[in-house]
Amino acid sequence: MTPPQLAAAPSFDLDRLLTSIDTMAAQKPVAAQIVSVANSDDTSARALADILAADVALASRVMKLANSAYFGMRGRVGTLQFAVTVVGFTTVRTMATVALTDLDDESRLPEDFWRSTTSVALAASLLAPRFGERPQDALCLGLLAQVGVALLHHNDPEGYRELVAEEPTFPGRRAAEVRRYGISGMRLTSVALEQWGFPHGMVAPLSAVDDRSSTDGALLRCAFELAARLTQAGYEPVDVSELTGGQLREDVVGPVLDQVAQDADELRRAMLDS
Amino acid sequence: MTATPTTAIDPRVAPEIVSSVFYGASVSDTLALLVAEMSDVPRLSWGNEGAVHLLGYAQEDLRGLPVAQLLPSLRGSELKLLLRRERAARMNLPVRTASGVFVECVVVCTPTPSGRMWNLRVISADNEQERALRATADAHEQRFATLTERSPIPTLLSEQGMRLAHVNDAFCSLVGLQSEQLLGTGWMGSIHPDDLDHVIEQVAVVLGGGDGEAHARLLQEDGSERMTVIRFAHLFTPGVGAGFVGTIEDITERLAFEARLAHQANHDPLTGLPNRTLLAGHVAERFVRGAAGLACLFLDLDNFKVVNDSLGHAAGDELLVEVAARLRSVVRPGDLVARFGGDEFVVVCEDVDEEDAVALAERIGAALAAPVRLGGVDVRPYASVGVTVQAEEHTSADDLIRDCDIAMYQAKNGGKGRITVLDQQARAEARDKLRLVADLRDAIERREISLLYQPIFGTVDGSSTAVESLARWQHAERGPISPTTFVPLAEESGLIGPLGSLVLDETCRQLAEWDALLGPDAPRRANVNVSALQLDDNLHALVEAALLRHELHPSRLSIEITESALMQDPAAARGILQQLRDLGVQLAIDDFGTGYSSLAYLRHLPVDCLKVDRSFVAELAEGHTEITTAVIALAGSLGLCTVAEGVETAEMAEQLTRLGATYLQGFGLAQPMSGTGAAAWFAQRASQVAAPAVLPSLPVPRDPSP
Repeated sequence: MTPPQLAAAPSFDLDRLLTSIDTMAAQKPVAAQIVSVANSDDTSARALADILAADVALASRVMKLANSAYFGMRGRVGTLQFAVTVVGFTTVRTMATVALTDLDDESRLPEDFWRSTTSVALAASLLAPRFGERPQDALCLGLLAQVGVALLHHNDPEGYRELVAEEPTFPGRRAAEVRRYGISGMRLTSVALEQWGFPHGMVAPLSAVDDRSSTDGALLRCAFELAARLTQAGYEPVDVSELTGGQLREDVVGPVLDQVAQDADELRRAMLDS
Repeated sequence: MTATPTTAIDPRVAPEIVSSVFYGASVSDTLALLVAEMSDVPRLSWGNEGAVHLLGYAQEDLRGLPVAQLLPSLRGSELKLLLRRERAARMNLPVRTASGVFVECVVVCTPTPSGRMWNLRVISADNEQERALRATADAHEQRFATLTERSPIPTLLSEQGMRLAHVNDAFCSLVGLQSEQLLGTGWMGSIHPDDLDHVIEQVAVVLGGGDGEAHARLLQEDGSERMTVIRFAHLFTPGVGAGFVGTIEDITERLAFEARLAHQANHDPLTGLPNRTLLAGHVAERFVRGAAGLACLFLDLDNFKVVNDSLGHAAGDELLVEVAARLRSVVRPGDLVARFGGDEFVVVCEDVDEEDAVALAERIGAALAAPVRLGGVDVRPYASVGVTVQAEEHTSADDLIRDCDIAMYQAKNGGKGRITVLDQQARAEARDKLRLVADLRDAIERREISLLYQPIFGTVDGSSTAVESLARWQHAERGPISPTTFVPLAEESGLIGPLGSLVLDETCRQLAEWDALLGPDAPRRANVNVSALQLDDNLHALVEAALLRHELHPSRLSIEITESALMQDPAAARGILQQLRDLGVQLAIDDFGTGYSSLAYLRHLPVDCLKVDRSFVAELAEGHTEITTAVIALAGSLGLCTVAEGVETAEMAEQLTRLGATYLQGFGLAQPMSGTGAAAWFAQRASQVAAPAVLPSLPVPRDPSP
């Protein structure tokens, strides 16, 4: 493990950024409420739908997602409550989080942010059963994994663009983030999600993604690998069995890549209003 | 054990700070509390008993300990994430204890208003109870996973809409794909596109909390299809939402078996053609009352019996198979060819008029006429074809089939190898006849066929010791129906068996009743007519059973059989008559002289009596005595007795007596009468027994029945 380099950009203030995570909730109260109640054990689709109804934009996005090809329901989802049932509570919470963090505004995000995010999310969801994880949770973690990246970009668009240009790979970028900001985007994500009450079990892999000896981070690590293969030109693949301590072999990757490639755009469209 | 935070012993921690953190809470020693403050780096300044216990450091060792040393996972500037100046933070972190062991903890950090001190609450996530709960939950999940994974039943599990989180090996091998190809919505590609909507509908119901079931075809990798029933069960995971568990039953084989059974039920095994059941359904499906264009052709092979009898049943079967093949090849696509039964076939066509149907019948006739080689013999199958095209008067599909059946019989009657289109009159007649047959069947079942008894007189002493049973049918609407009508009708429609049984049984019953009423004055014998069609191996048993049932001696019955019936198959008839004779019943040949009996056969037939036909007896009145004389003489020379029928006058009776007839019977002597009437008549005769019984004293009939 290399010692962290604390070479924060002069214009960057981590405290300010952390504070902004708190203020986001105040600006979008409905989304914040959903984030806080969605995964409690006594939540029902009806209760979530009732809250969701107060945010027309978010509600219509959930309806759109439920009727998207991604969930295969072919337009049979007519009510918000049923839409919540179909997409699952965690996904509703994830969409609320996306709204909360302005991830739905692509103009304020790094280039190709959603393309890589949906690929990571789909790959994680499809591989989840292999790792004993729930696909829904894996999908959501994948969708939110780069919240921290978006936050870093919000606060330092120019600097982040340079960083991306210099470090095309995900792991390289994360190391560069630590160098520049003192913290990786992914770590920032885990702080934010924990603060918003996402379960530790769901958040833990974010911290372990670069530790190849950790089984916690294997699924997400592998999902980033697959996303890189699909979204980064000239990418040199790393054998997934190396990334996962032999838990996954290359021969299952093919069909997963096919499915991810097939669904990513649809999911992106459903998550955003485009 | 609890302690209030105000008892904190370290003077460096202001009581108000502690209370700001733990206000209102009672603090257990199991709760680890630390205070950190900023110097060069953040360091601990205090820890409670709980912290000492959890972390393994002594109180004094805790003091001054860098926070980063306790929380090494917060690398570099990440300590800032926990030690926030403006607000509390909560993180799940591994905490390093004095021994170097890591303990997973939730660390809640609250800053003091100065922003340079923090209160840390450390809660071990690794307590026994939680671990036990997790272990139980994991074990449950593991058991469930193992169960479905190893289950031979293809199983699906979704936690979101149609998206699968899990498929087991059985499902993968059913469709021939890897689980990665099926997860998510991938499995939807394995459902037949035409069935997918229904499956989704059922999933929608199940996600809403119900149960569902869908019949769906699953596509296999090689392109083949499996018929399945997918049963869905609602699955709710708290905090996650609704999904479903789907189990799949592959019913392909079962359906195929059922289809085979259905095919067998609807098809003739010999020719493979649809049978009568399917035909009825086929026509019924297409029959619309008042519409036109539906036609039925009814074919009956001519001389099929000859082939069967002469070349054997195997050849007969071969012929039927060949005919079936020719029929199939000559009809238009979409026409139905069915085997109606035996050597009968029906062709059903749509959108045709009479001309088309007749043209098809001609084509069929031509196709059939080519010779078939059977057992080394060339056989040319000809068929009689009845054609019916749907018309106004057809009210049901059955009408149509019945009419073409009638047309076929007309064709057959007109000579073989013909085609007949059913005309109105023939239809009306045939319908009428069918109704009468139905009525006759009912009449027999309800024993509404009554019997009249006509006394037979001996010429020697003028006494009457026997009667002939005569069947009568009084139709509720049509009035009396003559036996010359209903007996042939019964013979044609297969009702002669039941009718004959009825007459035989009722006659025996009546004899027994007379015995009971009249004792020795009861008629000693009753003559019962038997149809040629009853002349088979069952007759003996039938007669014997009737006698037994009514406890009568066989000599009380005389069976009358027409001369023509005997001559149809004299050798067989002889055997049957012999059985009856051995039983002890008497036998008479009815209507003698009207057939063409071979006298040689006659000699060998075990009969007791000849009945001289009424037509010859009638000739006596015109002075023609030749035939009657000859018959009586013939009987005499063969040692048989004679009964002269149709005796209408005293003169006739006298003349017949003179000619040597043994018995006389006729309206002139006594009319047929009911059982009761006959009882009275015999009783009266018995009371006059002292008076000489002379034939010409014509008795007054008690029963006016004809």
